[in-house]
Amino acid sequence: MQQKDIFILGIETSCDETAASVVKNGRDVLSNIISSQISIHRKYGGVVPEIASRKHIEHIMPVIDEALAEAKVPLEQIDAVAVTYGPGLVGALLVGLSAAKALAWATGKPLLGVNHLEGHVFANFINDKNLEPPFLALVVSGGHTTLLKVTGYNSFEMLGQTRDDAAGEAFDKVARVMGLPYPGGPEIEKQALEGNPQAIDFPRAMLDDPFQFSFSGMKSAVINYLHNEEQARRPVNRADVAASFQEAVTDVLVQKSVLAIKATGLKEIVLAGGVSANKTLQHKLAEAAKKAGARLVHPTKILCTDNAVMIACRGYYMYQAGVISPWDLNAVPALKLG
Amino acid sequence: MLTLALDTATGVCTVGLVRDGHVLAEYDISVGLTHSEGLMPQVDQMFARTGIKKEEIDRIAVSIGPGSFTGLRIGLAAAEAMAYAWQCGICGVNTLEALAWNIPVEGIVLAPVLDAQKGNYYTAFYEWVGGELKERQPVEMADADMLLDQLRVFGKPVLLLGECKRLMQIPLPEGISVVPEQVRLPKASSVALASEGMKALTGEGVFSLRPYYIRKSEAEELWEKRHPQG
Repeated sequence: MQQKDIFILGIETSCDETAASVVKNGRDVLSNIISSQISIHRKYGGVVPEIASRKHIEHIMPVIDEALAEAKVPLEQIDAVAVTYGPGLVGALLVGLSAAKALAWATGKPLLGVNHLEGHVFANFINDKNLEPPFLALVVSGGHTTLLKVTGYNSFEMLGQTRDDAAGEAFDKVARVMGLPYPGGPEIEKQALEGNPQAIDFPRAMLDDPFQFSFSGMKSAVINYLHNEEQARRPVNRADVAASFQEAVTDVLVQKSVLAIKATGLKEIVLAGGVSANKTLQHKLAEAAKKAGARLVHPTKILCTDNAVMIACRGYYMYQAGVISPWDLNAVPALKLG
Repeated sequence: MLTLALDTATGVCTVGLVRDGHVLAEYDISVGLTHSEGLMPQVDQMFARTGIKKEEIDRIAVSIGPGSFTGLRIGLAAAEAMAYAWQCGICGVNTLEALAWNIPVEGIVLAPVLDAQKGNYYTAFYEWVGGELKERQPVEMADADMLLDQLRVFGKPVLLLGECKRLMQIPLPEGISVVPEQVRLPKASSVALASEGMKALTGEGVFSLRPYYIRKSEAEELWEKRHPQG
């Protein structure tokens, strides 16, 4: 007997992208609409929460409408509405959450409150249709650096995380000191292409705990280096600084990931979060994982950044497990993983 | 015509059902819950208790400001999503004007105020004449002294309503008083009644409503101050 297709509408407004998507049976993307605000926030040097919220309320319904139209799935045919309820900017989250709740309630469909970080991990199910738990996940973004054991579609075990700055945060802060425009991560990567990754030996904090990270020392070392060179009036090769910093960050991420592969014996590791778009990280981790007997899965570029496809995908597996959210679901800006 | 109304512009979360000028239900909660938690359960319970079906709703009226920026967005996002789902009309109602519908009484000037932070109020003045609400002064931002100076000149009794807790702590000039609490704060029924004479937005128009913020975000104000040339 053929099973009925399940259509999930995903909604995401946790930061500066207003996004909606329709996903069929958890893995087939029927639409992926993203209205980005990057150009609006650039002149402020980062995301301004109130401005982000104001843009979300303008775009939320047109984006949802477009996602349904492009998927050619009428609202009545949607089985459930999945929405990010954290972590993120509270005012931004509340726009998507309020729209999602009202839409679900008005049409009598279940509401699925999704953890944005779990969503990033689930973006990999879209790119690799054969991927199934258990596997390892390295979540690297502006707010998180976490090694996670995904033991099932609805069960996660945290192995370790950063004690201070997230990897993406370190990228953004170094970029700001170097005078690079927002968002800093991709700019560092661009500069690094022309630089020598071995030029400057920035410290790699490995810590006693094999699965814990620390990036604040590395960030400070880069900032100190730039200040010292400036005071000594020595010209700075920005490409070398960017490449050496990127090398140091990715060295730590890769080494800890390999330790996790060896400790768990898992055969697959996935990348998740905004920093997973970094090509150097992808190449180094793919190679190191292979040597350790595991395979790397990472999302395509469009699914590395914030999107609603991953939210719909995560929502699908909650729906299948009967994990439904109540109408009084609130935004949780500091929602944790695992 | 059956209207579902919402007002989340202040600390009160209020939802109501009004049919052709008759209030069928109103449900107000102000115990400090966030609107995000309270709004949909309140709407849900109101429909369950009245037995009114979702498909009976002809239009949605929503208070669009001035008011708390986050509160306005919660109400508007919910209102737009419901109007979209039911393909019904939507009306954005000025929060101050809706407050004037709490007291449809002639011969007095109504001065609803809403907290604009830093000692300021959003305010507008209204008067009921021949059964119609007339605007005596358009929406503006004013501090308490300015507000009371402007109200003195009317030579008629003036009633303050809205978020006027701080105004109750200062001596008010003769003829100016604060209305009792049960009619002081936003009521969804008033939002619905105020909307009945309005033309509802439909179709793509549902997407065109914006909160009536009045003020820009602080980041924008600061940026403009630092970059006067734009």
